Amino acid sequence: MKIEFTNEWCLQMARLELEAGADIEIGVTPNIAPQPVGALESSTGSLPDANIAFGRFVRLMRRHRRQTLEGLAEVAEIEITELVEIEEDNHHKPEPRTVYQLAKHFEMPMPKMMQLAGLSAPKDASFYEEAIRFAARSETVEELNAIERAALEAFVSVLSEKK
Amino acid sequence: MSVEISSAFLLDVAAGQAVAAELWDAVTEQQLVHWEDEWMPVQREFVERMKAAGVERALLPQSRHWDWRRKAEAFSGSLANPSFCVMCQGMTQGMMIVNTLHKARVASQAGKELIYIEYLENAPWNRRHFASDQPRFAGVGSLLMRAAIEFSREEGFKGRLGLHSLPQSNGWYSNACGMTDLGTDADYQNLHYFEMTPEQADTFIAKGN
Amino acid sequence: MAAAKKTMTLNLTDAEMGALEELCVKKDLSKTAVLRQALRLYQTVETRVGRGAKLFFEDDQTKEKAEVMML
Repeated sequence: MKIEFTNEWCLQMARLELEAGADIEIGVTPNIAPQPVGALESSTGSLPDANIAFGRFVRLMRRHRRQTLEGLAEVAEIEITELVEIEEDNHHKPEPRTVYQLAKHFEMPMPKMMQLAGLSAPKDASFYEEAIRFAARSETVEELNAIERAALEAFVSVLSEKK
Repeated sequence: MSVEISSAFLLDVAAGQAVAAELWDAVTEQQLVHWEDEWMPVQREFVERMKAAGVERALLPQSRHWDWRRKAEAFSGSLANPSFCVMCQGMTQGMMIVNTLHKARVASQAGKELIYIEYLENAPWNRRHFASDQPRFAGVGSLLMRAAIEFSREEGFKGRLGLHSLPQSNGWYSNACGMTDLGTDADYQNLHYFEMTPEQADTFIAKGN
Repeated sequence: MAAAKKTMTLNLTDAEMGALEELCVKKDLSKTAVLRQALRLYQTVETRVGRGAKLFFEDDQTKEKAEVMML
């Protein structure tokens, strides 16, 4: 059976597949079907609230240090476009290198930052709860208010816990 | 065994570019050797990483359920069970076995012949076992779905397809492939059963145009 | 599924042709497609029976099984 595939068709469909991010396998017993480890995606590929916490954390840390987006991007040696996406797009999945650079710059433990960014699975469920609680308490205003500052400080101590 | 090869393309995800690929209308000894020598070791490595990350044993992939050599032997010579594979850079990237003897259940097509997808698997390096994994190639699923549709058309089944989806794939078959979800099937481990009508097959193909 | 196909002439009685045409209408398939499906089904049943399985029809209401005789 011969099929005429065009370059355009193949690439367009490949991009849709990549965006969907889902497995396509058929024929395995469901109770042993693997879920991607550390994947916070549902089968439609959307990210849960814990990823909002990462963007919120980065933004608050930046503002706490009175840095502009450009300033942070420059000193942390990361792409400014990605930094904007991290802070503004709740569905954005950051590059591991970017998370590493931010962890180094903010002097935060790398494993916890990777968990917060959704790039690895947390060892305990309470981490997610803390992240979501932090996201819920923090809001975007010009300067950190007392509530935001308290939320940020509490969350920083959670991230810094040796677990 | 003679194999018909169609030229196609996959997306090299890291490079962001098209690479030449092929769709074969058979699974041959070459694919089985690739499965044994290349897929299985990578799959085993993923399982070790998952164990190290604390994934529950019940959720680890079980390689015996993906025994393509046994499947190929079971369906060898069976006219009702043709197979297909995707090749790229000399390596098997995906395999599929279908069944021609199933009937449609969706009301508008009830009782009519369709192509039922028995097994479909992507090479392990094209899958995300970890959220931080980057697939090597994208587009394998679409090529195999297109092959199933074209085969369905060639047989006079007008593009009708049927399959039982794994839970994490429900979104792909429902949203991306536009299939009808007929709900859980108690005869098939309560997996969701999906069908594609001729119109949905046209729409799927039109997505890429 | 190689591209090369072989052609065959089939001699059928009126009753057989009638049954074939009826199946074509019912299934909305060509005569060739119906006969190919029939061959696939026959081969599948033969293979399974050859491995020791039995082919049954099951009454949907009563769940009674009736064996299909394979010659």
